[in-house]
Amino acid sequence: MKVPVSWLREYVELTLPVEELARRLVFTSCEVDRIVRRGVVDVDGNYGHFVVGKVVEAAKHPNADKLQLTKVDVGDGEPRSIVCGAWNFGAGATVAVVTPGAVMPGDFRIEQRKLRGEVSDGMILSERELELGTDHGGIMLLADELAAGTPLADVLPLGDDILEIETLYNRPDLTSIYGIAREVAALTGATLEPVPGADPARDGDEAFSLAIDDLDACPRFIARVFRDVAVGDSPAWLKGRLMGAGMRPISNVVDITNYVMLALGSPLHAYDGDTLRGGIVVRRAGPKEQLVTLDGTARELDPADLVIADHERPIGLAGVMGGENTEVSATTTSVVLETANFEPLTVIRSGERHRMRSEAQTRWEKGVDPEAAALAATYASQLLVEIAGARWTGETELRAEPAPPTRIAYRPQYANATVGLEISEDEQRERLARLGFHITDDWEVTVPTWRARDVRRDIDVVEEVGRFRLEDVPATLPRRQAMYGRLTHEQRLRRLVADVLVGAGMYEAYTYSLQHDDPDPNALELPEPLSSQQRVLRTTLATGLLGAAQHNLDMGNGDVALFEIAHVYLPPGPVPDEHWRVGGIVQGDYFRARGLVEAVFAALNVEPTFTRADLARELAVAATVQSGWVATYAPGVGPEGEWSAFELDLAELFALVPERVTYRDVITYPPVRQDLAFVVDEAVPAGDLIAAAREAAGEELREARFLSDYRGDQIPAGKKSVAFSVAFQSAERTLSDDDAARLRAAIVSELQSRFGAELRG
Amino acid sequence: MDSLAAVDWAAYEQQALSAISGDALEDARVKYLGRKSELAQALRGVRDKESGMLLNGVKARLEAAVTAREHQLELAARRAAADSGVDVTIPGTPVTRGRLHLLTQIRREIEDIFLGMGYEVWDGPEVVTVWENFDALNTDQGHPSRSKLDTFYLDDDTLLRTQTSPDQIKAMLTRTPPIYMVSPGRVYRRDTPDATHSPTFQQVECLAVDRGITLADLRGTVQQYFRQLFGPDRDVRMRTSFFPFTEPSVEFDVTCFLCDGRGCAVCKHSGWIEMGGAGWVDPDVFRTVGLDPDDWQGFAFGFGIERIAMLRHGLPDLRAFWENDVRILGQF
Repeated sequence: MKVPVSWLREYVELTLPVEELARRLVFTSCEVDRIVRRGVVDVDGNYGHFVVGKVVEAAKHPNADKLQLTKVDVGDGEPRSIVCGAWNFGAGATVAVVTPGAVMPGDFRIEQRKLRGEVSDGMILSERELELGTDHGGIMLLADELAAGTPLADVLPLGDDILEIETLYNRPDLTSIYGIAREVAALTGATLEPVPGADPARDGDEAFSLAIDDLDACPRFIARVFRDVAVGDSPAWLKGRLMGAGMRPISNVVDITNYVMLALGSPLHAYDGDTLRGGIVVRRAGPKEQLVTLDGTARELDPADLVIADHERPIGLAGVMGGENTEVSATTTSVVLETANFEPLTVIRSGERHRMRSEAQTRWEKGVDPEAAALAATYASQLLVEIAGARWTGETELRAEPAPPTRIAYRPQYANATVGLEISEDEQRERLARLGFHITDDWEVTVPTWRARDVRRDIDVVEEVGRFRLEDVPATLPRRQAMYGRLTHEQRLRRLVADVLVGAGMYEAYTYSLQHDDPDPNALELPEPLSSQQRVLRTTLATGLLGAAQHNLDMGNGDVALFEIAHVYLPPGPVPDEHWRVGGIVQGDYFRARGLVEAVFAALNVEPTFTRADLARELAVAATVQSGWVATYAPGVGPEGEWSAFELDLAELFALVPERVTYRDVITYPPVRQDLAFVVDEAVPAGDLIAAAREAAGEELREARFLSDYRGDQIPAGKKSVAFSVAFQSAERTLSDDDAARLRAAIVSELQSRFGAELRG
Repeated sequence: MDSLAAVDWAAYEQQALSAISGDALEDARVKYLGRKSELAQALRGVRDKESGMLLNGVKARLEAAVTAREHQLELAARRAAADSGVDVTIPGTPVTRGRLHLLTQIRREIEDIFLGMGYEVWDGPEVVTVWENFDALNTDQGHPSRSKLDTFYLDDDTLLRTQTSPDQIKAMLTRTPPIYMVSPGRVYRRDTPDATHSPTFQQVECLAVDRGITLADLRGTVQQYFRQLFGPDRDVRMRTSFFPFTEPSVEFDVTCFLCDGRGCAVCKHSGWIEMGGAGWVDPDVFRTVGLDPDDWQGFAFGFGIERIAMLRHGLPDLRAFWENDVRILGQF
């Protein structure tokens, strides 16, 4: 919200510099994004250059058809010669003049200069040049009773400081200038002026038909009828205020509704009374009902929408926006003014459904003071009479039984115990009173209507006094009775896995939990994704890692090796089973990926077992290993080149980690090493041969290490040669040649019988 | 014997040691220990025990010095033979090494600070119930964060958590206080990706539940934490704010660690950087999880990891964290 400081001053005396006020509001009340200067800068006597002028002569510029050459009396002797581009005035007009030496908004300096051969000794001003309006069609005409030379600052709001604030969700009372003034009064101790506005005299006794179908959604509605309304331009002060507050002036009637909304926080709407068919009904929309809202959009209403209707059709979306069909126009003479209470949820849902946002709506959504409706009706009536010459001729009000005021049993010590700072009872009492709370001698606190949504309990009262002292809160630490802090076993192992992979040359990646697609057809999908790229909750890390690998390849990065440790979300839902996984992708063959998996297993003291498996069409070579898989992508699936990947479920993997590793004595007797090569059928896995060798030789086969597999010369077709080295070793004695021969024979015999393996000479 | 008395054996030994430590070891040995040396001659003429002890002592010390020097020279010779004039400016044999993602590095740093302060680390699930994410955290039905425009719903009761606070609810439901915990992890909000917004980001929330906890304890804890993270001179201030699950609620700022509070572009010349939200745990939240707010009080605060990473390392665009370009991953 934009808060013109001059407006604020109307309701509360400001004793602090604006910057200091803003700084303190930030601690106690709301965000202040910045302080902006609107209009003319009031430094170095700049205001003295802005004066009221009387046009003495006005005629066409001798050398330019589109310009006027004027003589203007600004009260300092000889009338000045001023060249002007506007034609909406002539001799006798009272105008706003700026003289040479002045600095205009936008830091533009006025100099005496020649225009088409004629001296222009100043400038006649338009609204837009003073940031008092948007109209640049002509210059601004002032009241004729003003004397030449009158300081313009006495007549118009020349310049102002604007506080740009952001209100918190729980502070709808700060969406009005008067509400902020109240806050400032509580903060600084200054006196708060009474709420502006006094009812004008009633001039007529018109009946107005009003009905509310849904008193829960609309607990209050006040309709006031005005006749003989003269729609026109607003006075400069009003336009200046609205411009300062960031709203565009439209016409006096509309401007008054906006002005009162900004002043008091309760949104108002003005209908052209002559366009209403019968009175007003507040009801839910009927099926397929249509409304063209003031933004010019035709909308099909939802039966859940609350609408303002006349006796035939909707004329407004309640709390959001009025309709075009009853819009106040230049020819309007009869106005029906609406002030009301709308419940937030109804307005929120309509706003969501129709994707709309308006100043009124943002106030209703946060909750408007229910009592402010009457205050707003009063103030707007006064202004309609004063500014638009209206007669107030009728009023109808409907209201549900208002909620009783909230009374809270409070203890001032509660604030001290919560904030950790001694705040005296006197200070608490005074602060609350300034905020509009009523406090009895025994601390029963009555909450003002404008805070009723937020302040409901004693802790809420604590915040009301505590927030003014946040700068003074000391820094202490909890006095703890017990103290420990540690990672869980699983968290530590997760760090270990990451560190092992980093040590092995991999970079850690972060990829999205939501992917465009997932191999599991049951993977959970978002009903309303943000984009088709992020719509499925992944059941594997592989999809994201493939994308990351592709991105690196696109960027020209070589030798890509990425891993990720993150959640996967396993169906069925609605709340999926979430598992921590580690996934990796590397440029290279199966064995590069498998080596990384082996490194992880080794770090965790788990012996991996790889088994060939047909896991997915996308994988050319694939194996399962405990808790996961390792594979090579089929050509054309992943990025260009050969890519391999792995994925392990960390909970399953960590379950295999021995609880404690027990010491094994180091063998001091020397090993006997031999290399063995067998010819076997192609299909026999080397891993099976080695496993069988271990079984055959028993404990004394201390080590069996794969060396090579070979096909080609000297090996029959359909066969291969698998070579591995073995180390025989005993913990009890040095093995003899005979021992080694015995063990070797056992292996040869076992492999022969199980796989038909022939030992190569 | 006359010559014996004529020699100053202390000086002889000094000269001999000096010669031995030089380059001409063999010459020195011959001159001072050889058969024709003064020492050998004197020893041959020794008659009394006292002189014998003196001269044998000199001889033994000089012989030991020769042996030591021989060893030293031999080592030097072998080293000279091994050093074939290696150019030490040539790079070493490459060792492949990867990197932890910057966000993991910072998350671990944060976890470690809190572990040091005696907090546990919780990393719970990201898909949670509406009750866990909103209702139990006191969020009213009209709060904008509940909107389908702001939050990813799987169905009416299930959503992607918008904050890691559901972990706090789970902790309070399953544990008896005191509870001191931080919960780092992914959270999800329907923000269209740009330089400073991402529909997924990493948040850390901290919760303390104990007896007699105050806002002063919150300020002190936040200050300790940021001093560990950004340096010992950092200060923390609290401003009023609103969160459904804390009352009173505050925002906290930390003095800018780039300009030391003097004012710079990063802190928008205010000297302070907004770091996150916090507050005193709302008594209704305690009631919801079955704790008596007369017995237990608490504070909670939360902040984003990406923001810290961007501020501290000068990253201009949040999206870089998810692109996984190794040229960027490799920088940190």
